[in-house]
Amino acid sequence: MSATLGTIFNIQKFSIHDGPGIRTLVFFKGCPLRCLWCCNPESQSPELEHGYNPDKCFGCGRCVARCSHGVLSLKEDRTLDIRRDLCRAECPDCVKVCPDKALVFYGKRYTVEEVLKVVEQDALFYTRSGGGLTVSGGEPLMQPEFLLALCKEARRRRIDVAMETSGFASEDVFLSVMPWVGYLMVDVKHMDDETHRRVTGVSNRPILSNLRALRREFPNMPLRVRTPVIPGVNDSEENLMATSEFARSLGAEYELLAYHSMGRSKYRSLGRPYPMGDAELSKEAFASLREKVSSL
Amino acid sequence: MSCCEHLAYSGQEQTILDRIAGKRDPNELKHPRLYKLISVFDGKKPFIDVERARLFTESMKETEGEMLVLRWAKALKHMGENMTVYIDDDQLIVGRMGHQGSRYGILYPELDGDYQASALKELPADPASPFEVTAEDSKVVEELITPYWKDKTFHQDLNKRLPKDSHRLAYADEGGYQSRYICCETASNRSSLQWCLDYERLLKLGYKGIKEEALAALAALDPDDPLDQCEKRPYLEAMVLLSEGIVTWAHRYAAKARELAAAEKNEQRRKELLQIAENCDWVPENPPRTFYEALQSHWFVQAFARLEQKISSNPTNGRMDQLFWPYYEKDVREGRLDEDKAVELLQCMWVNMAQCLDLAITPYNKATHEGYSHWEAVTIGGQTRDGRDATNELTYVVLRSKRECPLHYPDLAARIHARSPERYLYEVAETIKQGCGFPKLLNDEEIIPLHLAKGAPLADIYDYAASGCAEIRMPRVDTYTSGHAQFSLGAAVELTLYNGRMKKFGDELLTLETGDVRTFDTWEKFWNAYVKQQMFIIRHAFLQQYYIIQTRAEHFATPISDSLHVLAMRECVDLHQHHQYKGGLNLGYFECLGYSTAIDSLAAIKKVVYEDGVLSMQEVLDALECDFVGKEDVQAILANAPKYGNDDEYADSIGLEIDRLAQEFSAKYAQRLGIRCDFRMVPFTSHVPFGRVVSATPNGRKAWTPLSDGSSASHGADINGPTAVLRSNFNTKNYNMSQRAARLLNVKFSPKCLEGESGTRKLVDFIRVFCDLRLWHVQFNVINRETLIQAQQHPELYKGLIVRIAGYSAYFTELSRDLQNDLIARTEHDKV
Repeated sequence: MSATLGTIFNIQKFSIHDGPGIRTLVFFKGCPLRCLWCCNPESQSPELEHGYNPDKCFGCGRCVARCSHGVLSLKEDRTLDIRRDLCRAECPDCVKVCPDKALVFYGKRYTVEEVLKVVEQDALFYTRSGGGLTVSGGEPLMQPEFLLALCKEARRRRIDVAMETSGFASEDVFLSVMPWVGYLMVDVKHMDDETHRRVTGVSNRPILSNLRALRREFPNMPLRVRTPVIPGVNDSEENLMATSEFARSLGAEYELLAYHSMGRSKYRSLGRPYPMGDAELSKEAFASLREKVSSL
Repeated sequence: MSCCEHLAYSGQEQTILDRIAGKRDPNELKHPRLYKLISVFDGKKPFIDVERARLFTESMKETEGEMLVLRWAKALKHMGENMTVYIDDDQLIVGRMGHQGSRYGILYPELDGDYQASALKELPADPASPFEVTAEDSKVVEELITPYWKDKTFHQDLNKRLPKDSHRLAYADEGGYQSRYICCETASNRSSLQWCLDYERLLKLGYKGIKEEALAALAALDPDDPLDQCEKRPYLEAMVLLSEGIVTWAHRYAAKARELAAAEKNEQRRKELLQIAENCDWVPENPPRTFYEALQSHWFVQAFARLEQKISSNPTNGRMDQLFWPYYEKDVREGRLDEDKAVELLQCMWVNMAQCLDLAITPYNKATHEGYSHWEAVTIGGQTRDGRDATNELTYVVLRSKRECPLHYPDLAARIHARSPERYLYEVAETIKQGCGFPKLLNDEEIIPLHLAKGAPLADIYDYAASGCAEIRMPRVDTYTSGHAQFSLGAAVELTLYNGRMKKFGDELLTLETGDVRTFDTWEKFWNAYVKQQMFIIRHAFLQQYYIIQTRAEHFATPISDSLHVLAMRECVDLHQHHQYKGGLNLGYFECLGYSTAIDSLAAIKKVVYEDGVLSMQEVLDALECDFVGKEDVQAILANAPKYGNDDEYADSIGLEIDRLAQEFSAKYAQRLGIRCDFRMVPFTSHVPFGRVVSATPNGRKAWTPLSDGSSASHGADINGPTAVLRSNFNTKNYNMSQRAARLLNVKFSPKCLEGESGTRKLVDFIRVFCDLRLWHVQFNVINRETLIQAQQHPELYKGLIVRIAGYSAYFTELSRDLQNDLIARTEHDKV
């Protein structure tokens, strides 16, 4: 088996909305997109990084005493000052002594074996429910070698693999993993390239062309296209209809997901501002959009 | 990850919210009789009814010196002849033991009569499970009942017999009234363990047949054989008297129904009353001819069994979908019955059960059985005696009768096996999603092979019935009825930390000295000290069992259970005697509280003190000493150590070891007691009072708060989702040993998690894996945390809210604040 290491920021069991059956979600760290509404900002950087929640911090200084790189110091108000640039993330001692996980590391290096050891704990649930492993992120395609090794080994162990992806990758990489994937979910955020660049930081062209290539090479792949509906960004009827039309042309199911702001606190923990401000999506507006799209 | 964010409600929550909004419950229109019957007692405090205690005492005064089983039968006959007979308006199934038109509890002075007069003074004001008692009835207890039972009760006798070391762990006072909550006998609370009568015998023979059997056996006795004459004769005479007593009781109901019919103006009701009269003339004397008669016979007998003795908590209903299937099938085929009528009759029976409450008198019993606990489980599903799937149409009728009924009576248990049909699991899952905690699930794939190892005959274990909170019975094989001891693993942890002492009890040496923990330089030393404490307590659980067994045989008899037990009838030995019946199994158990509290505390010490060195033992002790006040960081470090319930081998391996040690003790010593005494984890509500004597523990638990319940994880500790909860349970069981009994497991889901058809599907899949993993029991609360908090704040709006506690359901607003908080704190799995 490959000795490649992958950077994973979370493994979540009993996931029931990310592919068929009961599944375990493996979140890859690192993403080429910078969506303004991203609810997992800790997934964006491919590096291990400190997260810090001052509300849970006792100001006990145990972590400071354990750090020999000068990353951590206590400010006057007994909260932490973190020099993220100095941290080598090689010695997780600082987070180990933190009483209440106020200081954490986002990201951990795993071997394929280590990931599957956790995934296989719920093997019986997959058998009974038609579930399995779902790779998600972040962007799993950003770690192609590890992803491929993981998917291959999972399939060898008869664990079904589903993937959640932005679809943003080279066509080679995108297609290379598909023989091992049983169910694919791709988020199409906007049909207009310029807007797409503005709100995600990248062009939508590779995404759309990858999806066409997928259909060409893997005509039977179960595919679900999804759009997170973001107020003021992509919630125009025209855009959603166009996306829906595109999904239909691929023979894919199409689903709208409602915007939420639950990621807000994570931005704070990373010491970054929340790009969406106070934007809200009303229940009624979402329901009406969903109805329009489904009546298409 | 899903982005949709909205709240979903269980069926029950929706009904309550609709009612608050002024809408009517749709079931009310479907089942008018049921709702009318309920409206009479709904929201009212139950009464204590002293008639049973008075008649029982009257008879027992007259029969002193006779054989116990005969005395009991005479007392029952006296009750059959003299209990007031009532028929509630609109009721179709008759047979009551207390006040008309209300909920009521009855008294058993033979258990705790020495205590009743003072208990009756306290009960009306009791915040949890209160009762009303009239001044007149109080006087009867004080003047007629208590004086007779003084120095004669089981409780007093057992209290005197317990050796000092055992007594100290059980009671905090000499008289044995205040519990110590370290290792406590539960036998004073009930004369029998939860019990399932062999109703098949009843339906086949009727009491006429049973009486004939006894008369024939009497005629065959050898007049020269002293045992035949001194033991078998009174036993058999008791069977004859009992048969006459119960038939007399039924006939008095027939007469009452005719009397009421004569005065009834409503033609429909007059017909109903005449039908009731006809039923009561026929059953339980004869084998029933219809579904209706079969239900009436069944209820008469279990009602009479409630008059006979206090079974913990109430006699079990048995496998109703199997027992009544031939009658149902025939009636439907011949056009006498349809599904709606069957549901109505079943619901009439449920109302009778809801009205007769199991009354807790002693402080221990009250604290461990809050909210009028009850386990009169109806069993559905499972397998037939020849190992085929047993589901039939009546299974679904019983499920429907419960789904559309606002009562939490009776308790419902669904047996699950590897070949349970999809429709069955779907309807079970849909019923669970109603959110009232029904049904609880029992797993054939664990229970059947395990009991084969314990010596059960194959056909009988295929035919087991749920009985009690999570237990099972084989009505033709089980022969052991004595209560057991409960002990606290939370206390074992505290006794380790303080060298055999507990904060609550000052400097008193309670167990044994195992050394100052600050001097232990390795985890092994700490662990060894803990094991010594745990095993010391278990030793006393077994000693208590010995005295319970001895004492019980001198205080109780149970002619009804005997009359419906093929082995007791063959050997003519009452089931409360300590006896090994040929072909019988004496299945007893001993029980721990705070399993997860101990695992988590030990895992935290091991990890934080001995492995990572994050805290010194002194720091841990200092933080415990001040209950973490000002030491919240230490509490957080301890609380974040590995925890049971997360499929984490670090914690689970400690649980496995605790289980192994307990089972090994039983394997070595239970046979010396002449029984199987297997390791069980079922809490009732005991984890609350047992927690009240345990100071802060190294899992971050605050002093005096509840211990963990059953085999569930500590509150809020299971953060890895419900699959991990099942897996941890699996990880901590020693499947190679048979000295284990029920493990109760609570899982709470948010309604959102199980929403819609796909949610039902996921629950079905979850249940399949529960079955695959060979876990014994699981039950679900499907409710929003917010609903519980609302109900705590506005009890008047939520008085119908039903929640699952420990193998039974209860009205949330009838529970103590402590238990309410405990339910709120149980982790809600809503990860999506």
